[in-house]
Amino acid sequence: MESSLTKACTLKLDNFEGPFDLLFHLIEKNQMDIYDIPINVITDQYLDYLYDLQSPDLEVASEFLVMASTLLHIKSKMLLPDKKEEKQEEVDPREELVRRLVEYKRYKEFATELKEMEKIWEKTVYRLPEPLDIPIIEEVLEIDPQVLRKQYIAILERNKKKINVGAKNITKLIEHEKVSLRSKIREVVKYLISKTSFVFSELFSLKSRSKTEVVTGFMAILELAKMKKVKIVQNKQFSDIHVISNTAEERDEHHLYSEIENNIKEF
Amino acid sequence: MDISTMESIIESLIFSYGDALPLDKICEILELDRKTARNLIKNMMDNYNNSNRGIIIRELNDKYQMCSKPEYFEYVSKLYQIRQKQALSQAAYEVLAIIAYNQPLTKAKIEQIRGVNSDSAVTRLLERNLIREAGKLDAPGRPRLYETTDEFLKCFGFKSIRDLPMLDIEDLSQLNLDELIDVGNSK
Repeated sequence: MESSLTKACTLKLDNFEGPFDLLFHLIEKNQMDIYDIPINVITDQYLDYLYDLQSPDLEVASEFLVMASTLLHIKSKMLLPDKKEEKQEEVDPREELVRRLVEYKRYKEFATELKEMEKIWEKTVYRLPEPLDIPIIEEVLEIDPQVLRKQYIAILERNKKKINVGAKNITKLIEHEKVSLRSKIREVVKYLISKTSFVFSELFSLKSRSKTEVVTGFMAILELAKMKKVKIVQNKQFSDIHVISNTAEERDEHHLYSEIENNIKEF
Repeated sequence: MDISTMESIIESLIFSYGDALPLDKICEILELDRKTARNLIKNMMDNYNNSNRGIIIRELNDKYQMCSKPEYFEYVSKLYQIRQKQALSQAAYEVLAIIAYNQPLTKAKIEQIRGVNSDSAVTRLLERNLIREAGKLDAPGRPRLYETTDEFLKCFGFKSIRDLPMLDIEDLSQLNLDELIDVGNSK
C-alpha cells in the first residue's frame, strides 16, 4: 500500500530526531488522535517511509527499524486477539506506545520552550570578578613535630595492611603480552637465512617461549606458506613440523623482506 | 542598621563579587539569618527589575548575580564583539529537557525516552557545561548519572530546578488507555 502522503515526503531520516519524532510527524500530518492511533494506517505509512529511503544509514536506520517492528507487533496483536488474554481484562496493545509517545511529546515541547527562553537570556552580559589584591593573612600553625611523626608512622602501618601479598602473582596471571605476527614472520625469515630448513619446535618451543609467542610463530609459518616462501611438512600427527625454505639459492635478508613486506603490512 | 543600609551593602557585595554570590556568604558578612537576607534581596530584585535601571539581579540556586537587562542587549553589544555561543542542536535541547526533569539519570534512560542514541548530544551539553556528571548509578556497570548545572539555570532563566514549569508529570505507566483517551479528549 502506497500512500500519496509518504510519496510527497521527500524528507530524510536526518530530519527526525528518532523514531518517535517520525511517528509524531505522521500523527500530526494525518491529524490523528494521539490517544487513539489508527495503528494500521500509521504502520503502513511508517514502513513506506522507511522503504522510500534511498540508502539508509544502518546506524541510524536500526533505531527506526526497532520502532517498525514494534508497530507491526502491535498491529498483529490487534488483528489476532490473544486467546489467553480474552479471559482476562482486555489490554490495549497500543498502551505502552502511546505512553511513550505522550512522554516524548512533552519533552519535545519543553525543548522548544527552552529554545525560546535561551533567546531571552543569552542577551544578558555579566561582569567578570576582578582579582582583588587582598593581603593573605598567614596563620602560624602550631604542631608538635612528634604528632606529625606519629601520624606518618600510622599511615605507613595502614598501608602495609593494605598491600596484598599475592598481588605480584596476580599481575603475572593477567599480564598480557603483545606479540605481533609481523615480528614473528620476520623472525622466521631471518632464521631461514642461515639454514634452508628447521624444525618448528626448535625455534618456537614452549620451554623457552610463552604460549602466545608459539601460537603466533605457528601462524607466521602458515602465512609464509601461503606466500609460497616456505613448505611445511609433517610426517604424521603430532610429529615434528619441518619448515623448508622455498628459495633454493642464498638470498640476502633485505631482498627477502622486500618481497614479503607488502604482504605483511596488515599484521 | 536600617534596611536601606543593609540593601546598599548587599548591593556592593553582589557587584564586587562579580560571580554568583552565595546567600550564605551574605548572611555571614551581615550577620543575618537566611530568611531575612532572602527577603531583603527579593525586595532589591523587584526594585531593580521594575525601575529604570539597566541592571538586574538574578537568583541562581541560592546565589545572586548582577547582569545587564536583556532588552538593552542591542546597545551593549555595540560596545564590543560578543562571542556568539554555538547553537545547540534539536537533539541537545531534547536531551536537556529530559535531564532537567529526571535528574540525576543515566544515558540509557535518556535514550529509552528518545528512542535514539544520544551520545553526541550529551557530549555537547557537557562541553557547554549545561550538564555534569553526578556520580554513578549503583547498578551493574556503574553507569554515569547526569544532572543540570547552574550554567543551565543561567542560560535558560531559572532560579533553581524547582522553578521548572510543571509538565503535568502524572505517572502515565499507571494509566490504562481508556483513561488516557478520556484525558486526551478532555483537553
